[in-house]
Amino acid sequence: MSSIGYFFKESLQGFARNLSTALGSIITIFLSLLIIGVFFVAGSMLNNLMTSVESEVTITAYVADDAPEEDIQKVMSDISGMGDVAQVSFTTKEQALENFSNSMTSNPEIIEQLDGTNPLPASIDIELRDPQSVESVAAAVESNGDYVKISEDPEDPGDSIKYGQGTVERLFQLTNYIRYIGIALIVLLIFIALVFINNTIRLAILARRKEIAIMRLVGASNGFIRGPFLMEGALHALIGSVLAVIVIQLLRMFALPQLENAIRFLDFSVPDMTYVMIYAGLIVAGIIIGLIGSAIAMRRYLKV
Amino acid sequence: MAIDRSRTAVPQGAHRAAHGGHAAQGGRSRNRAQLTNQLTQTLPELDVEATRAQLGQPVITFDHVTKIYPAQPNKPALSDVSLQIYAGEFLFLVGHSGSGKSTFIKLLTREIKATQGHIYVADEELSSMRNWRVPYLRRNIGCVFQDFKLLPSKTVFENVAFALEVIGKSKHVVKTQVPEVLRLVGLQEKFGKLPDQLSGGEQQRVSIARAIVNRPPLLICDEPTGNLDPQTSRGIMDLLERINRTGTTVLVATHDREMVDNMRRRVIALERGHLTRDQDRGVYGFDV
Repeated sequence: MSSIGYFFKESLQGFARNLSTALGSIITIFLSLLIIGVFFVAGSMLNNLMTSVESEVTITAYVADDAPEEDIQKVMSDISGMGDVAQVSFTTKEQALENFSNSMTSNPEIIEQLDGTNPLPASIDIELRDPQSVESVAAAVESNGDYVKISEDPEDPGDSIKYGQGTVERLFQLTNYIRYIGIALIVLLIFIALVFINNTIRLAILARRKEIAIMRLVGASNGFIRGPFLMEGALHALIGSVLAVIVIQLLRMFALPQLENAIRFLDFSVPDMTYVMIYAGLIVAGIIIGLIGSAIAMRRYLKV
Repeated sequence: MAIDRSRTAVPQGAHRAAHGGHAAQGGRSRNRAQLTNQLTQTLPELDVEATRAQLGQPVITFDHVTKIYPAQPNKPALSDVSLQIYAGEFLFLVGHSGSGKSTFIKLLTREIKATQGHIYVADEELSSMRNWRVPYLRRNIGCVFQDFKLLPSKTVFENVAFALEVIGKSKHVVKTQVPEVLRLVGLQEKFGKLPDQLSGGEQQRVSIARAIVNRPPLLICDEPTGNLDPQTSRGIMDLLERINRTGTTVLVATHDREMVDNMRRRVIALERGHLTRDQDRGVYGFDV
């Protein structure tokens, strides 16, 4: 136990005596983890944003004006039994007209021109659990025999089912690309950070190779030589990662509201839990990188 | 060419006594060795002064040691070297640059392993020694170098204390042993100075203090006076002799002809990796 105390004392002294190299490795670790952390936060924001855009995707299956009530009920219960369907609701012709006129308040003359007739069809609205499955659900509805009977045109039931075909596919392609690129960027950043941090620690140890040589000369065991250096590496990493966490939290408190004010139509909110996970991840990853980096950098100086 | 002390059938002390008396001119030839053998049989234990140091087992034994570096496969750095060093001896290792002196020292501290042959330090064979044991070997060998190898950011006291701290000695041991050894080397007034504030001779004294603070039975000095003027060198050699008198075996590798000639101690000469001379009360013997 006395050696733990010695390691701690030595690592603090090493810190004070090699201030410039210590600062160098702290700053490197800090900046690397800051960039990774900011990327993680931005990635979660983007992911939330894309999920909310995707969840707007619904399927509308139009129904013929003369469809019997019980057939509609049967189709609706069939659809709600499908795996990926979250909710099924029915919009009557009157509701459809009301929705339409509500969305057309700026051009009331369009409604007036209808002359009291209602050309809009009733519809079954389907919300999805996983928006990416929109195509398969739409296909399943189209091939449902009961729906074919009540669709506007039994010859071509697919024409009565609308879910923004074409646009939706492109949207999903885009969001998937963004997700893959984000993951690739984060992996790349982590790799770069590892190389940087390892290099800085190696330089810090190189600067003290004389000390290591003397420790070996007087017969210090490898564990004893490694101890203070590992502790110092972990200490630098801890300081660097805590700094990164503090800066990200400051950005969240002060810069994020500004961004939200500037771009009001996008939702930048990320659950608090996600932030806590990112912070804990950064600190743990930082300490592990510090320890492993020091151990690797030490290895060549400890060969007997 | 090497004189193999271990192979003689006569009692060790008697052999060395006779050898010591007659080999001053550099007993190189077989004839000389044979003559010595004959003499030892007729003259048992004559020289009391020479036998004093040789009581007990040899602390270091080189048994037909050859070291070949991979970079120079045709030129052995040490070739078939056999010798024994006894507890309490003071000996010089001489030879030109590249003769194998540094290889000899590195083999002793197990920085490198012998290609062939065996080296025993205090009954332990070095090539088969496990790596984790090496630090414990080095705790028994103090090392002093031409360039002092002091830590510039630590004070005199801290530099010496460092050697004890890193082998896990308690604060109490550090507090009692460091001042004692610094007094022994004559630096009682300089505890708090940094190495830069000391003269070369004083720095070498600090490094000697560091080497012996753990009281190792063996002290190896690689050109300890290489950077110092003759008068300072004299002081350093006096100190090494004083340390030797406390029972520590001292091995000094040196180029300093005057020193070797003045002190008349056992001299081991290396020439291109071969042991060419091993004489008691020897001289430097090379043309400079």
